[in-house]
Amino acid sequence: MLLYILKRVLSAISVVIVTLVASFALFFFAPTDPAGVICGPRCTPERIADIEQSLGLNQPKAEQVLLYMKGIVAGREFSSGGVTQHCAAPCLGYSYTLGQPVTKLIGAALPVTISIVIGGAVVYLLVGILAGTIAAQVRGTSADRFVVGTTLVVQAIPYFVFALMIALYATFLPASGYTSFFENPFLWASGLLAAWLTIGVTNAAAYTRYSRASMIEALGQDFVRTATSKGISRRRVVYRHGLRAGLTPVVTIFGIDLAFQLTGAIFTESIFGLPGIGLLALRAFNQYDLPVLMGGVLIGSVVLVVMNLVVDIAYTALDPRVRLG
Amino acid sequence: MEPLIEEAELARQGAPTDAIAAPTGEIKKVDTRRKSPTQIALARLRKDKVAVICASIFVAFVLIAIFAPLLAKLEGQDPTTLHQDLTDRYGYPTITPNGEHWFGVEPRLGRDLFARWVYGARPSLIVAGSVTVITTIIGVVVGLVSGFMGGWIDRVLSWVIDFVLSLPYLLFAIAVPAALLAIFLGTTEGVAANEVATVRFYSLILVLSFFGWASLARLIRGEVLTLREREFIAAAKVLGVPTRKVLFKELLPNLVAPIVISVSLALPSYIVTEAGLTYLGVGLTEPTPSWGLTIAQAQNWYRADPLYLWIPVAGITILVLALSLLGDSIRDAFDPRTRR
Repeated sequence: MLLYILKRVLSAISVVIVTLVASFALFFFAPTDPAGVICGPRCTPERIADIEQSLGLNQPKAEQVLLYMKGIVAGREFSSGGVTQHCAAPCLGYSYTLGQPVTKLIGAALPVTISIVIGGAVVYLLVGILAGTIAAQVRGTSADRFVVGTTLVVQAIPYFVFALMIALYATFLPASGYTSFFENPFLWASGLLAAWLTIGVTNAAAYTRYSRASMIEALGQDFVRTATSKGISRRRVVYRHGLRAGLTPVVTIFGIDLAFQLTGAIFTESIFGLPGIGLLALRAFNQYDLPVLMGGVLIGSVVLVVMNLVVDIAYTALDPRVRLG
Repeated sequence: MEPLIEEAELARQGAPTDAIAAPTGEIKKVDTRRKSPTQIALARLRKDKVAVICASIFVAFVLIAIFAPLLAKLEGQDPTTLHQDLTDRYGYPTITPNGEHWFGVEPRLGRDLFARWVYGARPSLIVAGSVTVITTIIGVVVGLVSGFMGGWIDRVLSWVIDFVLSLPYLLFAIAVPAALLAIFLGTTEGVAANEVATVRFYSLILVLSFFGWASLARLIRGEVLTLREREFIAAAKVLGVPTRKVLFKELLPNLVAPIVISVSLALPSYIVTEAGLTYLGVGLTEPTPSWGLTIAQAQNWYRADPLYLWIPVAGITILVLALSLLGDSIRDAFDPRTRR
């Protein structure tokens, strides 16, 4: 077990390092002119030289990679127009268009994305598992066919179109916006409600299908028959005995899914105007803000890799049948 | 499942009675032609009403895309001509849909909406189609090689598959076009909109292909790992059949079902991704007529000019809905585990 975890951790680290090098190569070896873009159209050569100096762009490319790596581990200094800014470790660079260290920007955006994703997950897990369990019990009836048909149609509607329709036409929902939970929990919830419902409804379709299939299998098992024959009420058999066995595969899918949702919240953020990681990356793309773009990609990769790792390890710990290798 | 059961029944009951009946001179005519799994699946699909309707809708969209210039000419308009005389000074169109402009005109620029709509079907289908083809070929080849060869080749390829699957692909889809634009054009300033649009078009295909092949490769690899141990592969190896032939003549035909299912589910998902990224402003750009682009512009006019927004929304929703439902039907038809 320990060896397996060690192997998985090593492979996760290798993925992160390759991502780091690849994204760096992509952005810094490309024949771009970051200093010129940062400086804008009316720019003096001295100003460009100053920016290149502070970003380390005047040094050899290999040196720049090392500088960037060193920044992540130990932090580094940025100076612009005589003002020196310290960027504490882990430093992912400095955004000149926003005048802030990238880590600070991402730190501000991450809670927004996490709030969106977690809240949405609560909605779709509740709705999906409940609908799936009910559909599994009435399998083959017209009610079941209705549920399955609805999930098929809901899943087939393009997500961004659905979200846009909610944002434009569901005006009865409270206006979207982000307030910190610690500042005002009520405003936090009401500002995110529309986003949660959108994510909730669309993903509930998939989870209804997963849990329906999984519950059908679980309810066909011998232990369910045994429980029923002991005279336990149907409700208790389904929700205590069946659901417990039926939920394991759903939880696994959820773990992997959640990581993708974190990086995929970009449509939700953009349509509802919530300042999360996706919107940050989108703004960085439009202003050609490379350090922010790279930082976003890097943080996204780390989140994804760590989540996958946690799911894998949790799964092997929970289910002894999983073969280690 | 039914045809299979019929065949099994025939083999068990029909055949012996035939053999007994034959000497007496009464030969019962029983159709004992064998059907391949693909033929069985296609027969199931033809009986599926939803699948037939969805397939017809898809074909209709393909025809619209192919004959877009013809349809626009039929209307007498083209997607780029400005009709600013048809908009008032606030940009609102002064006309409603009529014989000259079937869907009306765009606010502000006054370009014809019908022409833009029919041309808009093109990038969606071209991008999604080429990405599906590219990812399927790469995925199948990598999966076959990795699963069949084993050893260090498998280890390296598996690592690459895991690597690609563990990247935040939407973030990359935003980040990469920025770099590709610089790599292809050498500079990011003062480039003509046409050139940017062309580069964006190819970089979109490139990015989607790069991230798309890995899941299919993993699936194929898993299938090959089990098929590899079967007798017919061992027999082919013993007979000295070259590896390439084993891979493509022996293994590949057994992988038709997973490949067809993957293709049918991939196509609508790439159409959505193309439109979605374009909507976000990181996909295709003007002057390419694209539904995602029109939706992005039209959302600001949704109260004043709902038709502007609803036409591309309807286009993409109907197309994707039809393709997804078709994909589900295809999966059911090809998957021997599903019962009807």
